[in-house]
Amino acid sequence: MDPYEIEFIGENRLVSVIPNFTYDKIYLICGEFGPFRAGLPMNVPLWLAVMLKQKQKCRIVPPDWMDIDALETIKEAEKTSRFFTKMPNEHYMVEAKLILGAAAEDIPRAGEIKTIIKDIWDIRMSKLRTSMDTLMKSGGSYGRLDHLTMMEINSVKPLLPSAMDDLLRIQSMAKKTIQPSLNTSSFSQSGSSQNI
Amino acid sequence: MDNNYLSISDILVTNEKVPCKFLHDLPKMGFLDPSAAEDDLKAGSNVEIPLWLSESLYSRRPPLVSVELPKIYKDAYREILNADACTVDMHKLGQYFYEFGCYISKHDIKGEVGSTLINTFRQRFRMLLSASVSRDSLIALQPLSASERQRASAASKTEQALLDWLHSGDCVLTTANMVANHRKRKRAEMEMV
Repeated sequence: MDPYEIEFIGENRLVSVIPNFTYDKIYLICGEFGPFRAGLPMNVPLWLAVMLKQKQKCRIVPPDWMDIDALETIKEAEKTSRFFTKMPNEHYMVEAKLILGAAAEDIPRAGEIKTIIKDIWDIRMSKLRTSMDTLMKSGGSYGRLDHLTMMEINSVKPLLPSAMDDLLRIQSMAKKTIQPSLNTSSFSQSGSSQNI
Repeated sequence: MDNNYLSISDILVTNEKVPCKFLHDLPKMGFLDPSAAEDDLKAGSNVEIPLWLSESLYSRRPPLVSVELPKIYKDAYREILNADACTVDMHKLGQYFYEFGCYISKHDIKGEVGSTLINTFRQRFRMLLSASVSRDSLIALQPLSASERQRASAASKTEQALLDWLHSGDCVLTTANMVANHRKRKRAEMEMV
């Protein structure tokens, strides 16, 4: 899947905005939003928030997790843990990119947040690569993708699934040929047990 | 690797040559052996024939040929592959190493070819990973076998799309210059080399 398609999926998440205009309810395919009251915070889909922001019609309220201290804790946890930690948001990368792109002035310390989110992303991506390699080397037959976000899972496709497919094919083929030797070993085992 | 009758890659795989020993005299078949002087093919002569031909000759009762292992599946090469599969240039030694190996393994009496294939595949997976992120893709792709190349280029396409997405838009999430130049941040790349 293309990253832009994932961005599109992520754009449906709700974010909180403070409009500076008053308007009736609006009816969208994904639901109805409004009525808009100037100065009162409300939830709208991310794409709508970005569009309104670009027209200077609203202020975006920073999501709870977009906070230096919270992100710092996540980064530390991610660094020390061998496994992936739970991200505050299934589409953290998409949300960060769009909100920081359109409304950097609404977010306190936007520059630092940018860097720290990129840090977390880099740590997770490098962890993802090394764990893929260990998965293959250790001979595991499945990988757990707990706490990976959609964008991250997409980055290992099609490599990991297709490699697993081929490995399975070689394995099932090898089993067929190894079978006879296994049988003889079981014969010898049964023979030895009779001796005892 | 798929045994589909119309699969082009499967046809290419079965066109690879295998060394065979003929068990019977075959009249008028001398042309199969380029070094033979006579019209008839003598029993006991060693000839390299395509896999598709050897399969049908081998499956006759009684079999007309005995199939031997190509050199890359023999003990000497198997030892190298088991020691460090990443050093082997599959493009030179066996374009269709895994696919061909699947066909060949049934002629291996000891049944070790199968496990070598699996081991090799497991070890060489990291080469695919590093090929997909490397900037100099030509050098990274060079030692890969045909199917590995296919997989690596698909992976690097994904990687490229992701990079494009990260770098698009008016706000690029980037690492600070100082941090990027710091040795620690090269961890990801260093681990792959």
